[in-house]
Amino acid sequence: MEGNIEELRSAIALIGYGLGAIGPGIGIGIVAGNAITAMARQPEMQGTIRTTMFLGIAFTEALALIGFVLFFIA
Amino acid sequence: MILATECDVANEVICAPAQVSDLFEFDTWFTIGGLEFTKTTFLMLLAAVIVVVLLYFGLKGRHLVPTKLNVMIEGLVGFVRDGIARDVIGPEGGKYLPYLLSIFFFILVGNLFEVTPLINFPITSRMAIPAFLAIVTYFIFTIIGFQKNNFRYLIDTVWPKSVPVGMRPLVGLIELVSVFVLRPLTLAVRLFANMMAGHLMLTLLLGSGVIFLASVGEIGARSLIGIPWLAFGLFIFLFEIVVSVLQAYIFTLLSAVYIESSIHFEH
Repeated sequence: MEGNIEELRSAIALIGYGLGAIGPGIGIGIVAGNAITAMARQPEMQGTIRTTMFLGIAFTEALALIGFVLFFIA
Repeated sequence: MILATECDVANEVICAPAQVSDLFEFDTWFTIGGLEFTKTTFLMLLAAVIVVVLLYFGLKGRHLVPTKLNVMIEGLVGFVRDGIARDVIGPEGGKYLPYLLSIFFFILVGNLFEVTPLINFPITSRMAIPAFLAIVTYFIFTIIGFQKNNFRYLIDTVWPKSVPVGMRPLVGLIELVSVFVLRPLTLAVRLFANMMAGHLMLTLLLGSGVIFLASVGEIGARSLIGIPWLAFGLFIFLFEIVVSVLQAYIFTLLSAVYIESSIHFEH
């Protein structure tokens, strides 16, 4: 059977993106979970904590986004 | 939104456009000096006009009893000023408020086109627009960094004083790539990826729901499968409204954080 190298490449890119999304997923979970704990302990700090949480999520998400770009490039 | 309407439902129900890019690329309406004017271009201009009109009528005159539009626009402007500019950048944040306000409103309107009936296309799902906005932010924070810190900005980035000497080349390399390459890249891709995924999801769910239900005469009771699709699609529709507002907020917040990190470079 003739193999189509283009299809194989995009399939591998898909798998790679899936693997790349695992780490940021865990990381965002940790960030959001700890932010909720912090908000529950000190509700008066909610605004600051929310801003910091979004920042943390944004930096964690970077890895998943790089994977997304690589998926397009591949 | 629904481009996949011409499909064969009688035999095997597969409704898909020929290519996924058909959902994002539109026919050229007319050409001005080599620039193609498409639906995306039109929506971009429309978003700008909407922002200007909203801000003009929202902030025009001071009424004793503010109108509903006044309250809404003043609330949003106050949110960007106090919640983003002054909160993140500090007292001198007012200087950067015009820029932050512009990108916040433009991205917000552009994102909300996704859930606007009859338009249903988020202009930020075309890479050019987030990329351009991210490049503007990139230039602003780089120029401010060099302006406020001269060449210490570059030198301290590649040779950070706060880490042990042995680690400095490694940390410096990571910092260099992170600040000057990954920051604008992730800023643009985050917005683009979120809006593109949202548009695809909405098209898929609502499109298949509508197509199944509309072809009830041809496939009979099997068209009932469209009801859960439609219900799930409407749930995602609500979710996309939240995502639209959140992504506009995050883009503005991160722009402010990058500008702040150029002003107060020491830490």
